[in-house]
Amino acid sequence: MTAANFVPTGIGIGPIRPRFRRRELGLLILVGIALTAGSVSLGTTRALLADGTLVVQAADPVRLAIFLGALGVAHLAQVLAGRRTDQVLLPAVAMLGGLGLLLMERLPQDQAGSAFGDSLGLAGVQLLWLLIATGVISVLAIVVRSDTWLRRYKYTWAAAGIVLLLLTFVLGEESNGALLTIRVGPFSGQPTELLKVILVVFLAGYLSEFRPLLIDESTRLGPLRLPPVPYLLPMVAMWAIAFGIVVIQRDLGAALLFFAVFLALVYVATARISYVVIGLILLVLGGFAAYRLFPHVAIRVDIWLDPFADPSGNGYQVIQALIAFARGGLLGTGLGAGLPMVGGTLPIPAIHTDFPLAALGEELGLIGVLAILGLYLVIIERGLRIAAAAADDFRALLAAGLALVVGVQAFIIAAGNLKLIPLTGITLPFISYGGSSLLANALVVGLLLALSDRGVEAPPPPRRSRSRLDRLLHRSAA
Amino acid sequence: MDPIVATIWLIRILFLGLLYLFLFGVVRVLMRDLRAAAREPVTALGRLIVVASEVEEPALGTVFPLDAVATLGRDVNNTIVVDDGFASTEHAVLSFRGRAWYLEDLDSTNGTYLNGAPIDGLASAAFGDEIQVGRVRFRLERAGT
Repeated sequence: MTAANFVPTGIGIGPIRPRFRRRELGLLILVGIALTAGSVSLGTTRALLADGTLVVQAADPVRLAIFLGALGVAHLAQVLAGRRTDQVLLPAVAMLGGLGLLLMERLPQDQAGSAFGDSLGLAGVQLLWLLIATGVISVLAIVVRSDTWLRRYKYTWAAAGIVLLLLTFVLGEESNGALLTIRVGPFSGQPTELLKVILVVFLAGYLSEFRPLLIDESTRLGPLRLPPVPYLLPMVAMWAIAFGIVVIQRDLGAALLFFAVFLALVYVATARISYVVIGLILLVLGGFAAYRLFPHVAIRVDIWLDPFADPSGNGYQVIQALIAFARGGLLGTGLGAGLPMVGGTLPIPAIHTDFPLAALGEELGLIGVLAILGLYLVIIERGLRIAAAAADDFRALLAAGLALVVGVQAFIIAAGNLKLIPLTGITLPFISYGGSSLLANALVVGLLLALSDRGVEAPPPPRRSRSRLDRLLHRSAA
Repeated sequence: MDPIVATIWLIRILFLGLLYLFLFGVVRVLMRDLRAAAREPVTALGRLIVVASEVEEPALGTVFPLDAVATLGRDVNNTIVVDDGFASTEHAVLSFRGRAWYLEDLDSTNGTYLNGAPIDGLASAAFGDEIQVGRVRFRLERAGT
């Protein structure tokens, strides 16, 4: 992870020639027009609600202009660097980020609740993080020309991830009943967001190396054909880590996300349904045990089964979200016209972090929610396409894993908002308020863009020969 | 209908319409990309790229699309002819069985190397691995799209 691993652009690949990105530019212009219309819709509705007159105006033209300007700079940087990276990811992410910015603009500005938040307001902080995220995406997409620093040090990354996890266990501060936040001086962050990226990097490295062993089948358990027993251990270890997160950190969302991404990647690597079946059985058993043993899990499940059992207590937030979706209907109430205040506060306290989809569902309606879910599908599709075009297993698994981690996270929280599965407190990628979430997802998109480059250098040959593994393979096969 | 309310309603619908216009634009790009990929025939399971060669056949940079079985050696009847003095007439077989690649040495005089180490009979290979026959080195890659 030193500077030597980042080969600067232009060395060894001839002079840099600007390369126009017509599709990206066209899509970014559409993003700009749509977000301006959204801002005008919000501003005009606000003016009407304030003094009953029609003033066609944008809600906050300055912040919107800064965000769109940053997107323009990111586009220009890609054009000048002359990289042949994906042209759809940035506009799709920009649209989601812009919708998030509009939502933060629309919510009461004192929700931020931190030292910066009080001076900048909710939208100000979100804009700042969006700018940093855009910067991270562009820098990664342009600078990363080699993935050696990711594939060589997979155990280092895994160790870093476990240290981060332990730090959260020990130093984590409680928010909404879960240990989520680490605070260092004035800075605070949610390590699970970074952990999901590290997990994907490690799994891609691990699975691409041991793929030949994992698809070997020598153990039979009834109708299931299993690989040699030692190679089932990672499955059990991963399950134990997820269970540990549920028990110690009390963070159901992260546990579910990690385990789901793990299963998906194992399936991508081996194309074996038996692993998925075992994983799902372990998940159900673990989930049932947790439900019986731990009250914080039981509460979540009970709320999910019947939120109306305690409508003003535990079930309050979930019920209010359902009512918000119902009020939105097909076309929504319009930005700025929904979300009635109850006693001076919003009915859903965590609306900017956990329930942005409920807010957007009320103000943009079913139509708007479907468009947002469509954008996540687009991101997944791009990731899987990048994986399909990758030169070797590591890159294919990395690209698929990065796309799936965003997609699965969006699904878990969207389904939680809609009471399809128990609600778990994770963020809606690119839309939710918060720096950790935006930064981690920017890392994901930046890496995906870097992986999508068709001019990127060939993957290095494996350093260690697999002969030791082969002997094992043949002994177990014999 | 009150003109103020009507105007605001129109702006609202315009915003939703523009959201879908963007989504439509994205989907059009994706469809074009998928159609272009579908036009390219993807029959190969993988490909071998020559990364080091001092002989004319195979020349450096040659790409061989791979079927389920590919034989390597000096004889002209091999799938991939390696016209190198250090290669045997029937040197090695690279095959795709089930879900994995296997490299088999056919008792060649100078051996077959996988990632720099000589293989002992049969070895499993993966994408990204380097295979050496004689003085010619290949890299096994996914066929890609």
